[in-house]
Amino acid sequence: MMLVLRVLKTQPLHGYAIAQRIHLLSAEELRVEEGSLYPALQKLLIKGWVTAAWRASESRRQVREYHITASGRRQLAAEVAEYRRMATAIGLLLDKA
Amino acid sequence: MAIIGEWVRRVGYLLRRGAREDELRREMEAHRAQMGAPPAFGNTLRLREEARDAWGWRWLDDLVHDTRFAWRTLRRSPGFALTAIVTLALGIGVNTGMFSFVNGLLLRPLYDDDVVLVAGERDFTYATYRDVQEGTTDIFAHVAAAASADFIGLDAGDGARSALVHIVTANYFLVFGAPPAHGRAFTAEEERLGAEIRVAIISYPLWEQLGADASVLGRLIRINGDQFTIVGVAREGFQGLSIPGPEVWLPLGARDTGLTLVGRLRPGIRVERAAAAVAAVGRRLDQAFPSADETYSLGIDRAGRRLLFMQAPGSGTGSLTGLVLLLMLMPGVVLLVACLSLADLLLARGHVRRQELAVRSSLGAGRLRLTRQILTEGLLLALAGGAIGLWLSTWAIKSLLASVRPLLPVAVTLPDVSIDWRVLLLTVAFSLFATLVFGAAPALALTRRAAAADLKRHTGDEGHRPGGIRLGNALVIGQIALSVLLLASGGLFLMSVVSAATADPGFRLDGGLVVQVDPGLAGYNEAQGRQAHLALIERLRAVPGVEAVSIGSRPPFTSIGDSRDVVPAGTPVPQSDIPGAVFSVIGRDYARTLGLPMLRGRDFTEAELLSGAGERVAIIDTELAEQLWPGEDALERLIQFVDVVDGVRSAENPPIRVVGIMPSVKHSLGDPRPYKHVYVPLGQHYESAMTLQLRLASEGGERAMVGTIARIVRDVDERLPVLRVATWRDHFNADFESSLYRVGAGIVSAFAGIALLLAVLGVYGVKSYVVSRRTREFGIRIAIGAEPRALLWQVLREGGRITAIGIGIGLLLAVGAGQFLQGILYGVNSIEPAVLVIAPLILVAASLLASYIPARRATRVDPTVTLRSE
Repeated sequence: MMLVLRVLKTQPLHGYAIAQRIHLLSAEELRVEEGSLYPALQKLLIKGWVTAAWRASESRRQVREYHITASGRRQLAAEVAEYRRMATAIGLLLDKA
Repeated sequence: MAIIGEWVRRVGYLLRRGAREDELRREMEAHRAQMGAPPAFGNTLRLREEARDAWGWRWLDDLVHDTRFAWRTLRRSPGFALTAIVTLALGIGVNTGMFSFVNGLLLRPLYDDDVVLVAGERDFTYATYRDVQEGTTDIFAHVAAAASADFIGLDAGDGARSALVHIVTANYFLVFGAPPAHGRAFTAEEERLGAEIRVAIISYPLWEQLGADASVLGRLIRINGDQFTIVGVAREGFQGLSIPGPEVWLPLGARDTGLTLVGRLRPGIRVERAAAAVAAVGRRLDQAFPSADETYSLGIDRAGRRLLFMQAPGSGTGSLTGLVLLLMLMPGVVLLVACLSLADLLLARGHVRRQELAVRSSLGAGRLRLTRQILTEGLLLALAGGAIGLWLSTWAIKSLLASVRPLLPVAVTLPDVSIDWRVLLLTVAFSLFATLVFGAAPALALTRRAAAADLKRHTGDEGHRPGGIRLGNALVIGQIALSVLLLASGGLFLMSVVSAATADPGFRLDGGLVVQVDPGLAGYNEAQGRQAHLALIERLRAVPGVEAVSIGSRPPFTSIGDSRDVVPAGTPVPQSDIPGAVFSVIGRDYARTLGLPMLRGRDFTEAELLSGAGERVAIIDTELAEQLWPGEDALERLIQFVDVVDGVRSAENPPIRVVGIMPSVKHSLGDPRPYKHVYVPLGQHYESAMTLQLRLASEGGERAMVGTIARIVRDVDERLPVLRVATWRDHFNADFESSLYRVGAGIVSAFAGIALLLAVLGVYGVKSYVVSRRTREFGIRIAIGAEPRALLWQVLREGGRITAIGIGIGLLLAVGAGQFLQGILYGVNSIEPAVLVIAPLILVAASLLASYIPARRATRVDPTVTLRSE
């Protein structure tokens, strides 16, 4: 969910584009499966961290675009901070142990 | 805030599910189109379901599904469902009804928390009231004063009778937040001391009795002989401070002492602050009106809880406490029986369903899911039972209220008894708990085990007794024991009613009438009162068919009232307590009107009735004579009344000559032995409240005479407050204790009946289960030539053993209960052979009947069908 929020922070995207973007930005390391993407998006909607709107895409297809909300940004910041803290801790442990 | 927003969105998703799902579908289709690689996407339906779980409504879908499933399952076994629901409904209904009743009448706080009493040590006068009112305007929204509730003679057009009246200030109704339903409250003018404005506000029930229309306002009613105009009708159920509520409220007017102050706190004012404020008023009053003995010491008393029943004559309150205790205990026992019965049913069903559960579990139903389905079923049963129980409880409350009314001396407004929701929820929760424990336990046990064993059903486990049957039997034994207990208790109550009704009161009830009058209530002074008494005796004596008329201040089965210590004149007065004698003022022919002989000596003379001049004389009864001069003749001897001054006993009164000796009479049924009595003639002592006693020439016609006598009494003196005109037998039956036994007998018998029904259902359930499990065994036995009758007997005999054990335990319990009831009830022993024989017999019969139906089913087993089903 942190990843989804992070890519939405830069620009509004629709579901497929979110998956693509995560894939590209992670140097093709991460792949978000549809099976986890859509439950995550539904959860973000329920939590009120993103909103969704239908829009015609460049290929004139109807797509549902997700926008991050203010509370979504706060949540992202909190999650990123938490993740950094954990990553640092794990890194320290790996280095020292 | 975030949580609320989230929930709002969730509910939004729930309400617009269709649209949301559609959206999800379109979105995923778009996704798939863009990917251009359909196979990788897999099953979109599954994906959509998973995405949907994020909305958080999955449990609801499951619940709906489980409920539908449970509904279908229950529909398929209506017998079980119906029995279980009835059992639950009875348990829940009886408990909720009874507890709401006891709670509403006896335990519940009667007012809002804002309504408080102003308590103090000195007597409250009208002036005190006004001082408190003026000193606390910032504390109380309203302060009202009321005199203590009182009995009056009320004639609302249907003859004078005794009624409860409450004398109150103008704003009294406002304190309770209950202005009159019709008409108006009293005015300040009417409340003013010495106003003597004759207006009345009547209770809602009295208004209904008078026709329940607006024309009642302005009508005249007669209270203690005076005409009062009805100006208002209190709200339905309004009682105010007086519990039970009175029939009439009158303005304070002339009443200036013994007031009770009650106030409604202004919003936000705490009791502590109010207490400080009234204490300050009290200190000011102490300075203004100092008294050597006491201070005002004003404080706040939460209006709180009061006992409903007025102090009953005789030893009534002891019995009452016992009865209340019983009322609380009985429903508990019924609930216990209901739960046991339910457990039986569910246990039996759980075993019957083993195969079904095994099949479902092997088809991939999770243990949790299966358990949840069974729990849902239990929940559905409990809810249905609860709903019917709720209906039953309102009905129970109504009949309980109706059954309590005869206990009350006058028509009163009983507290509003509504269903106590906490109790209802508690009982439902309790039954639910029972349902779940007994319903789900077998299912859990099942799902834990390998399903295979249950799939291969009928593998000869009929030989050893499964735990289910053992547990079932134990439950049935419990039910039977408790039912015996209740039946035996009911029997004791019934016996007590019979003993009370047939008890020898010590005088002749038949052919007698009583007329209670109290001229003092209408403001008659002693001379006028005496005049009224004598005029009535004179007039009633002339009524055709009346053989003798007398009058007395303390006739049998009225309160003992005035009791005095009597010693032989001239002897030293013992300083310890001696048993007092009932002091009674009587007219001539007193013994004769009671159907009793004068044992020795003479009756009072006409002269002794008219004046107290001449020698003081008395008639005493045998009990008193025996106490004063054991074994000797008391006639013509002198007695003296004992005075107690500052704790010192002395006999300074003039000696009184004993001129006659009468047999003893009782004053209440509970008395272990008759009271002692000393009777003095009308001329020596005046009491306003008197009871005229009539003896008719022939027995049997007294009931028809009641109306005639009431009319004649009214013709003699229209203003005279007449409190009661009744036959002696009705008066005797209206005795508090004897009514108490009747009410108790009704209630306990009802409980016993319900428990019996529940026990029968339980026996039936277990027997049916046992028979259904042994169908194969029976089939084989019939196939190899067993007599159906022999099978029938075997099943019945097995049922008989359980019943016998249950009855044995029940009898022990019943004897224990008898010990307890003996103290409450009249004329019964803790061990009453008749009760202890009949109660088990009823159960044996019922239990046989309950076993018979399944037993017969056993004999009808078709061997070919049973064996082929293998």
